[in-house]
Formats: sequence, structure tokens, C-alpha cells
Amino acid sequence: MSAKEKFLSVGIDLGTSQSAIAASNDTRHVVDSYVGWPVDMVARKVVKKAVLLGEEALDNRAVLDLHRPLEQGLIKEGSEKDLAAVKEILAHLIRLAVADDRERRVRAVVGVPAETMRVNKQQLRQILKGTVDSLMIVSEPFAVAYGIDALLHTMIVDVGAGTTDFCVMRGRYPTEEDQRTLTKAGDSVDDLLAKLIRERHPEVQFSEYMVRTWKEQHGFVGESKEKVVVSAPVHGKMHELDITEPLRVACESLVAPFSETMIDLLAAVDPEYQETVRQNVILSGRGARIRGLAKELQRALDELGGGKVRMVDDPVFAGALGGLAIAHDADESDWEKVAA
Amino acid sequence: MPAASPPQPPRRNPKLKRRLLAGVVDDNLRAIRNQPEGRLHRRPPVSWSFVAAAVALSVAGAALWLSLGGVLDELAAPAAASAPRPARLASAPRAGAAARVSSAVFPVAVRRIVVDPGHGGGDLGTRTPTGLAEKELTLDIGRRLGTKLAEAGFEVDYTRAGDTRVSLRDRARLANERGADLFVSIHVNWLEDGRANRGIETYYLGPSDDPFVVRLARDENRESGYALADVRRLLDSIYADLRQEQSRGLARAVQRQLVRSIREVAPEVADRGVKSAPFLVLVTTQMPAILAEVASLSNAEEARLLAQEGYRERIAVALCAGIRSYSELVASTATQMEAR
Repeated sequence: MSAKEKFLSVGIDLGTSQSAIAASNDTRHVVDSYVGWPVDMVARKVVKKAVLLGEEALDNRAVLDLHRPLEQGLIKEGSEKDLAAVKEILAHLIRLAVADDRERRVRAVVGVPAETMRVNKQQLRQILKGTVDSLMIVSEPFAVAYGIDALLHTMIVDVGAGTTDFCVMRGRYPTEEDQRTLTKAGDSVDDLLAKLIRERHPEVQFSEYMVRTWKEQHGFVGESKEKVVVSAPVHGKMHELDITEPLRVACESLVAPFSETMIDLLAAVDPEYQETVRQNVILSGRGARIRGLAKELQRALDELGGGKVRMVDDPVFAGALGGLAIAHDADESDWEKVAA
Repeated sequence: MPAASPPQPPRRNPKLKRRLLAGVVDDNLRAIRNQPEGRLHRRPPVSWSFVAAAVALSVAGAALWLSLGGVLDELAAPAAASAPRPARLASAPRAGAAARVSSAVFPVAVRRIVVDPGHGGGDLGTRTPTGLAEKELTLDIGRRLGTKLAEAGFEVDYTRAGDTRVSLRDRARLANERGADLFVSIHVNWLEDGRANRGIETYYLGPSDDPFVVRLARDENRESGYALADVRRLLDSIYADLRQEQSRGLARAVQRQLVRSIREVAPEVADRGVKSAPFLVLVTTQMPAILAEVASLSNAEEARLLAQEGYRERIAVALCAGIRSYSELVASTATQMEAR
């Protein structure tokens, strides 16, 4: 059995809202980044589990101490419960990937926001001790770039829930000057959308989960040919609600900061390669699935002489697949150096 | 729209991939190796006998005050020669307030530091017409500072880890609940009204009769989360506070490092000195606390520099150096005390 066969390689995209895993045994999973513990013995009897994850945790949130342990793509600090929740999510993802392959040891590549602090990476390493054999932590947009072979003169814009990461690939492992992290991302759109709806319809009852679902199903920038109408209760009775304009405004709140950051990063690229980078801007991440976003960002590049913005084929798994590609390509000696 | 045949990045380049993977491994090894090996050399907890002796010494009176009370001042005196002389608040304690006790009587090691990036969320702080916002700059500098402090062996907490709105009350509450030894609030200034529009200034808690400072404090206090009655009560209780002297020592150390470092690249930056002001975030924290206005967005050149990572890194390094200098001073003062 070769070393590669002895180990199960996994790529993990640890996200604020959802986390994804892709493994060398061809498994792929995505879970909501929520962890819940029953609030008391009664709750424990109801849910029949010591801990619930993902959708199951969300569905039972009324009887759980529910944690969304990542904030702006980083592990929330100061709470042991949040650290425990991150560990649960990662362990759960790895269990899903390992499945019947329990004899094989795990080598993991985990993608984190581009400007994640070193202390957070160290926390992550600590959390995964004992769960994986070796661990590499990489910036999420780099993982995306690696996975799609966009390694030179490209720009990755990875739109997550908590952060949006920008990375210019210059044929080297990206440094601080090649990357930016904005907190304008899926969550900030949700917050603004909720605020705008509340202003227009103070009587309507809705939750953050409903808002996120509306955005994911109908989010758009630019012109919309049809109205976006959703249902929400008013004093317990369902009403139809036209959220076209608030949704457009909330989604378009991403366009200006994204454009500015793209232009800012482009200006730092060697002049002879700027056009190549402009023509190879790649959107990834769950938050990038807002209709018309690529077109609007492309329009922003017009003032620099034009460019092309396209979406990766699989925005949800692009990061995890990139991590898997890194795990696959790394040598034995590389893995030995970063043993967990 | 883009050209018909955009330049394409190279595909499947094994040499390039090898180079990138080497970069991944190096980055991970740097993170692993920079993990603090051990904490800073800490003073052991202050013993009861030491406290008793110190209290006895303080009661003994003026001799000790004169010999020890000025230690911090004396060592920090070279800072901010051009700065306005801070008001000697201790000379006018409230009627019935306890006599001022020198901070040197209770020297304790600095272990935990709360970094407070100013503003956040819908509270942008100051901003340039091009959209560069104080809240983003303070977060970036705060994160950099936190990383450096952690690498130096301090325990670091943040009042906000992302682009979120946190009331001043909650910022102070977090620092108090975590038992922080120091609180460092980071802000970026906007200077106008005929004053030089570029400079660095560091505040510690105290009253001010400078109309500019009063206006600045009013602006920074806007998101306090406190009722007016609370504010009055808090302000009434502070001015004989032991923390004030320690805060001034910290402010001086930080201001000195900031000015020295920034003038290496921008000699024209004004040293606006160490000042006292009633910022609520300083009032409600229970440990030595400062508010550093590390730069001025009102100046176009400064705004241009602030957009560069290198300049923000320089500011973070200077803040860290000032904090370390102060903590070493505190530790050495404690040693002198024990020797006596």
C-alpha cells in the first residue's frame, strides 16, 4: 500500500455559514456550520442526542444551546463552547468523509479567510490535534485557485457568508499584499435586507433564516424582470410580501466595495500583467450566486479598459476541492513537516 | 465588454505547483514555529504580605509618594515634549474622595490585553470621500496588533473581530469580564478647524476643557449604550482613580513609539501629544486604558498611506512596542518595590 493509499486526503472549506469537505475517496459533504447542545435533560430526551449539527441543529434550535462558532470566517474568541463547536463541525465532516474507511489516517487541508490571524490558525491546529494526522491551513481563495489551476495572473473573489476574500495569483503562495478580506459578504447582505424589510413592513415577522433563504433563492443585482414575492406571517397570518427593491439594494451593497477592492488589488499588479488578471477574475463561494453579480463587477472593470468576470463551475465545493488538490499534490516530506 | 480572446493563464504547470506547495508548507511552518513557546516572564501573583506592606507604605505617606509615585512619569517623561501638559487631576479630587494612591504601590504584571478596534458595522467612524472608512482601518490595525501581542506572549482579546457594531458599554464590559490588564482602543482621527490636519495623539481618562477634545469625545461617545444618569455617575467617580496614572504611563509609552515610527516615513506628522479626555470607553473600563488616534484621515497623504498595508503594519508594530515598553516598566517597578 503506497503512502497515498494509506491516508485519506481531505480538503475542507470551513465557512461561517456552511462548511464543505471533499475527500480522496470521492465523497463530498456540506453541512450548516451550526452546533447545538440540548439545554437540559428534557431537551436531551426530545432530541435523543448529546449534540446536533447542521440542519438538524437548526431544526431543533428551540431546545438547543445553538452555536454558530465562526464569525467573519474566524473562530469566535472567548468561548470554550465555540471552540468545542468548531471541533464538532470538523470532526463531523471528517467522520462523514471517512465513512467506512476507518482504518485510513487523515491528512487535511483546511481553507480559512485570507487574512486570518495567526492565533486563529493556531487554535485550529490545536482543535484538530488527534483528529487528523497532518494539517495544512491555506487561504481559502488560494485553495480555490489551486483547485481550478488558476495559478498565475488571475484574481479569485471568494464570497462567503462572513467574509469575501480577494486574492491575486502571481505564481507564488499569496502574501498579505496579494490578498484582501472584506466583511461585506452574505451575512452583511442578510442584515441589510432584514433592516430594509423591517423599515418597510414593521408588522411582518421573519427570522434570519428566512431572510437568508429569500436571498439565496432570489438574490440579484441590476434589473429584475419579475417581482420577488415571499410569504411571511403578520400577527400569525401569512401575507405575501414584495421584497424586490430591498433585495436589490441589499445585494447591490456588495458591488461598490467589491469593485473598489478589485481595482485596488489590480493596481498593485505588475503593469504588463494587469490586463491578463483583469481578463481572469473568478468568482467562487456560495455568496457569489447572486444573479448578475459577475456582470456588475465586470462593468466596474470597464473603467480600467475592460475585463472578464466568471463564476467557477461549483461555487459551493470549489474551496474544498482545491484543498483536496493541494492534499493530493503535496509530497510525503511536505506532510511530515506539518504533522498535527 | 471584454475582448474576444482574452489572454489565458497557463494550465497544469507542475513546477509552478511545486513552488506554490513549498510556499504552503513554509507558511504553515512559520505559523507553527511562531506559536509562543512560553509566556513573557511573569511576576508571580502579588502576595498578601506584599500587599499589606504596600498598603502600610502608602499609609505611611508622603515620603513614599514622592519617591515612588513619579516612577512612571519619570521614565516616560521624554514622550511628547511638544504635547500640552495634561491636567493634574489628582490635585483636585472630589470632596470626600479617597486620597490618591500611586500606581507604583500596586504594580502587577501585564498579562491580558483587550484590543478595541474603534467603530464597526453601521458606525463607520470617519471616512474619506473615496470610501476609506475608519472602522476598517481600526479593525485591520487591531488585528495586526493582536497578532503581535500574542506572538510576544500576551493573552489577547478583541472587542470586535469583524465588521460589527459593538456599543461602548459592551466593549468595556468585555474587557472587565475578561479581567484585562490593559485596554487599548484604536481610532483614526479627522482634524480640521484650522489645526494641522495630520497628527498622532493618545488619550487617557480625564476631563478636558479643550473644545476640540470635548467635541471629539462627544463624537466617540455617541454609541455608548449608557443613560445620561449612568454617565454622570461614572464621571463623578473617576477622577481620583488609581488607573489614571497607569493609563497616562501607557499613553506616553504608546505615543512615543507611534511618533518615532511614523516620522521615519512621514517626518511632517505632528506629535499632538498625550491628553486626557472623558471618552466613555475609558471611563467604564476597570483597568489602565488608552485611546490612540493613530493617524488622520483628514490628510490626503495620510489617507493614501493608510490604504497601504505596510503603513498599517508600521502603526501596529509601534503600538505593540509601546505596550511592551509599558509592561516592562511595570514589571521593573514591581521588582524595585520588592527590593525595598
